[in-house]
Amino acid sequence: MEELETPRVAPRTASRRGWDFALLVLAVALLGGLGIQSLAGTLYSWWATRTVESWATSPAFAFYIQVMNAIAAPMVIALAIVMGLCIPKRLFSRGALAAASGIMVLFGLGSWAATGSPTTGLAVYLLGAAGVQVSVVVMTIAGASSLRFLAEGRVAKVGSALLHLGFLVFGYVVVALQKDAWMLPVFWVGFVLAIGGSALTFYAGGVTRALSGGR
Amino acid sequence: MTAALPDMAIIDSTVASLRAFGGPLGITALVASLALCLASWIPGASAWRRRALWAAAAVLLLGEGLLVWFHVRLYELAAVVDPSTGTVTGHVAVPVWVESEKLFVWALVLAVMMCAARRHAPELASVGSVLLLLLVAGAVLAGRPFTDPLPDFLAQYTGYLRGMAVGGQAAAQAFQGMEGSRLYFYDTWYMWVHPPLLFLSYGAFTMSFAAAVQAAMQRRSAFEETAYRWARFGYLPLTAGMLLGFPWAILAWTGESWWWSGKVNMSIMMWLLYTAYLHLRLHLRKRGMWRWVLALAFLSFFALVLTYVTTYLVPGAHSVA
Repeated sequence: MEELETPRVAPRTASRRGWDFALLVLAVALLGGLGIQSLAGTLYSWWATRTVESWATSPAFAFYIQVMNAIAAPMVIALAIVMGLCIPKRLFSRGALAAASGIMVLFGLGSWAATGSPTTGLAVYLLGAAGVQVSVVVMTIAGASSLRFLAEGRVAKVGSALLHLGFLVFGYVVVALQKDAWMLPVFWVGFVLAIGGSALTFYAGGVTRALSGGR
Repeated sequence: MTAALPDMAIIDSTVASLRAFGGPLGITALVASLALCLASWIPGASAWRRRALWAAAAVLLLGEGLLVWFHVRLYELAAVVDPSTGTVTGHVAVPVWVESEKLFVWALVLAVMMCAARRHAPELASVGSVLLLLLVAGAVLAGRPFTDPLPDFLAQYTGYLRGMAVGGQAAAQAFQGMEGSRLYFYDTWYMWVHPPLLFLSYGAFTMSFAAAVQAAMQRRSAFEETAYRWARFGYLPLTAGMLLGFPWAILAWTGESWWWSGKVNMSIMMWLLYTAYLHLRLHLRKRGMWRWVLALAFLSFFALVLTYVTTYLVPGAHSVA
């Protein structure tokens, strides 16, 4: 493999990239953790259906669902927090970022405490993160120069902001709207944002060329 | 039995026609894939590789055309009649990517992508031809879409016809099951969008895996770039397909615990791994990072294969085990 040369960067930029990388490693670890849980759940299902009679309708199945939810919940919440940290870092300095994230987490915890429902707490946190992301999208489209993105180019920036917003909206649908009349309309908003944003991010160069008439 | 319902003999003769033409076609597809493999790997035979690839793709396309004919014929025959009113509620539109046809569709998508590939086409074909041969062999020998077509659907529909012939409670129960499958499984628009998107992604991820193997073997970053390009192309339909599965599951599996079922678990794991791969690749320029990126590329494809196999091994919602 041709090792690509590591570019020389200013200390402040290097520090920011180190922070970005740390968040990325954390996100990958959480994604991997959820993946391992999914694999373990599948293997357990496979084993249980062969050893426990009528497992799918037995109390053991309800216990399995309960355990899977309990294991996944902290990782999903941590992933949402990491996403939250990734989102406002484009708007704030690291100190302000930590404060904003802390406030959003506190709002989530407060909602959990007030309602007694962790689901409500997570929903409130996702709404807050989505609200911040909407402002990122607006500022990006307006061309704010202060935004910090890993990906270069206006189209990639807009795409990245839109896709993160899309997944936050989808997360909100899963957490809070599954049995609500608004489930489908809100789902479609999240779907269009996530897929459209991904396409813009992945094919930013082509879109930019198309927008500039092939130049 | 009402006149709108077909005679079983007509369905049997349609299946017999499919077997008569499809049996040899399946063997031809297997031979064509083997020829492509040989042309890709035997020194001096590379001049035939391109022709062998197009030939294999043409045979697979022909086979798909035959399956389309079979499904259109089935649609014309497979009416569903409400025994309480005697009216036809609809016809069952069985798509060409269910049951025994899945591997065949995956193979077809891969063959078309191999034909369309411009970047590193010969190198992708060398690994891709082996994967194509495995898929075609699996389709023809295990799936058997031409010789043992749609076993579950035909069993359900013939059961429905038998129930309708008996009448009374048996007819009512048979109708309830068949109409439920028609409305929430076969004829719903989700069925016509969700699986094709996933098979499109499966094809692209197979191409990505082929390029990743070349990157690991030849240690050239250009192949890693090719692997990434195919992976990002596959990630879009994968994400779209999986997202669309969510409202479909809520509609079709009301009251069922499907979220932590085996196939759903594995699908989530596969998506998480490909998401992790695409994220980690943002830092490819870090020293030694390519090893981790390639490892995740291999792990993600392994998860994809496991996800497919889980359908047949682990019982639960979204499973035929």
